[in-house]
Amino acid sequence: MNPVARALWNPIVAKEYRTRMRTWRSPFAITLYVVLLGGLGWAVFAAMTGNTLGLGGSGTNYGMYLFMFLIVFQVALLGFITPALTAGAISSERERQTLDLLFVTPLAPFSILWGKLLASMSFVVLLLILSIPLFSLVFLLGGIELDQVVYAFAVTGSTALTLGFVGIAFSSLFRRTLPATVAAYGAAFVLLLGAYVYGFLFPTDADPTSTVVPAPPAITLVSPVIPLVTIATNQPVSGYGVRVDYSRYTKGIPAAGGYCTPTVNGAMCTSGPVYSFGTNQNTGTTLPSGLFKGWQYWQASIVMQLMICAVALAFSALVLPPVRRFHLRRRRPVTAPAPA
Amino acid sequence: MIAVQNLTKVYGKRAALDHVSFEVPEREIFGFVGPNGAGKTTTLRILAALLEPTEGKAYIDGADVTKDREKVHTRIGYMPDFFGVYDQLTLTEYLDFYAACYRQPKSRRQKIVEDLLALVGMTERKNQLVDTLSRGLKQRACLARALVHDPAVLLLDEPASGLDPRARVEMREILKELQGMGKTIIISSHILPELTELCTMIGIIDHGRMRATGTVREVIARLTSGRRLRINVLDEKDAAIEVLTPLAAIRHVEAVNGSIEAEYDGDERTASDILVALTGAGIRVSSFTPVDGGLEDAFLKATSEEVG
Repeated sequence: MNPVARALWNPIVAKEYRTRMRTWRSPFAITLYVVLLGGLGWAVFAAMTGNTLGLGGSGTNYGMYLFMFLIVFQVALLGFITPALTAGAISSERERQTLDLLFVTPLAPFSILWGKLLASMSFVVLLLILSIPLFSLVFLLGGIELDQVVYAFAVTGSTALTLGFVGIAFSSLFRRTLPATVAAYGAAFVLLLGAYVYGFLFPTDADPTSTVVPAPPAITLVSPVIPLVTIATNQPVSGYGVRVDYSRYTKGIPAAGGYCTPTVNGAMCTSGPVYSFGTNQNTGTTLPSGLFKGWQYWQASIVMQLMICAVALAFSALVLPPVRRFHLRRRRPVTAPAPA
Repeated sequence: MIAVQNLTKVYGKRAALDHVSFEVPEREIFGFVGPNGAGKTTTLRILAALLEPTEGKAYIDGADVTKDREKVHTRIGYMPDFFGVYDQLTLTEYLDFYAACYRQPKSRRQKIVEDLLALVGMTERKNQLVDTLSRGLKQRACLARALVHDPAVLLLDEPASGLDPRARVEMREILKELQGMGKTIIISSHILPELTELCTMIGIIDHGRMRATGTVREVIARLTSGRRLRINVLDEKDAAIEVLTPLAAIRHVEAVNGSIEAEYDGDERTASDILVALTGAGIRVSSFTPVDGGLEDAFLKATSEEVG
């Protein structure tokens, strides 16, 4: 076996598969996952056909709505499952006192990390595969193309991978599983919801001299929520992550008692004229400005997440080895003090 | 085979190891003795390249443990003072997993596992989950794990700790067999009689400092003030003490629990001369035994010395 194949496929993966699937937890988690996702799909469909929750209306949107709810809910579920899979990966080996036994084998610490990650993420991939039949129901209703499903699954997979890498990093850092799990869930909360909320708290200011609506802050793309909604609806989320100072627009000032809402095509006011940012927003899901100008939302999101993965992996590789090559603090030679 | 030179490990202001040096030639069994917290585990962890020394060097078969870890890991079999077993793995799978970690070819792994199970006498338990094994059996399974890559050097940290007498004897038998297979072994233990019987060399460590090292006989000779005899006589105990006391070789004589214990300088010939002196004085000697508690005495003496 060549070194690359050996690094990617190592005994830890096979051992993890074996031990993971022999417990009742894995079948239970799989069943619960499918039941919850299916239950949500059924509830959304019932709400649409029953014209409740504001989801009724045109039947042509049923597929789109169902897909949007399913894909966002799937990410939320993975946000709960992935940290649980990875946060204990290394720390549980420490608690079981088997980590030293792995360190004295010729396996490199990176191989140990990779084996743990591959085994955990394989379970996530299994869950994603199991959800495909549910998502295929969307095609019966129409309104969603195959490429949208592929992009949405790519974002979902990338999000799960990010949560997995972050979970492994905390698992490498903390000696105990409990603090590692708490930290991994905290990080998942920040990545999934914190980055999303950031867009509301610190939006991009629209430039009154520009003819385009600016993109939300790049950091918000770490969260998969907006990219997934964008993929499902095939258009950006109106007003998210953008602040329009209407006093600076000659034609965007609302009449007394009125208000304006930033839209793709400008500030739509309840009365008075509509200020047009221009017509170069036809593609809909392309980021109009900022770091990822011209990219699709989902592409930018995946790149941001992969950057986090790289940082988390580098951090894990730094803190995991029992004897670190790089020391966080400068070491000075010490003369042994006389024992007490 | 193993060389430790001025090994020092400092945690904060506490020296766990203070310039420890010793050497273990090939095929020797080195008993590493010391009270709890003396620095035995720290030394073994440094030798296993799991810990970096603050100062000093250590070599396994010529490989520097701080620089050539991969070579060190292929040379050593490390058995820590805990079990380290997984749930949901049978004994065969457990050993096969570590054999795979040590890059043993798949075609050979089954044979390796079968041979090791036979060596530690656990063939009939091969399909039992490792975490359900008793303490003694787990210890044997862990010893088998340390042998999956047929290492030349074994680092065994308290292998008999917590075992019942029977399991302890079984472990000792296995170690003797490994000695016969030509392994170089470092075994840390606080159970002295075991080491006396098993080890060819010994090192006594206390408060992070090596108090004595060498062959068992050398260490005992260096640390104990003299050799000891236990003599039983029929009726003339006082007369026997009177005969013994003026002898030049005798350092000290005392009556202990109905016997006479005599400490002397010299060898077996001197002991024979003492016996001749007793019988020549008409003392009827019923038993005349060299007392073999030397290592224990040596250990107590070495570890009770004033540190400084």
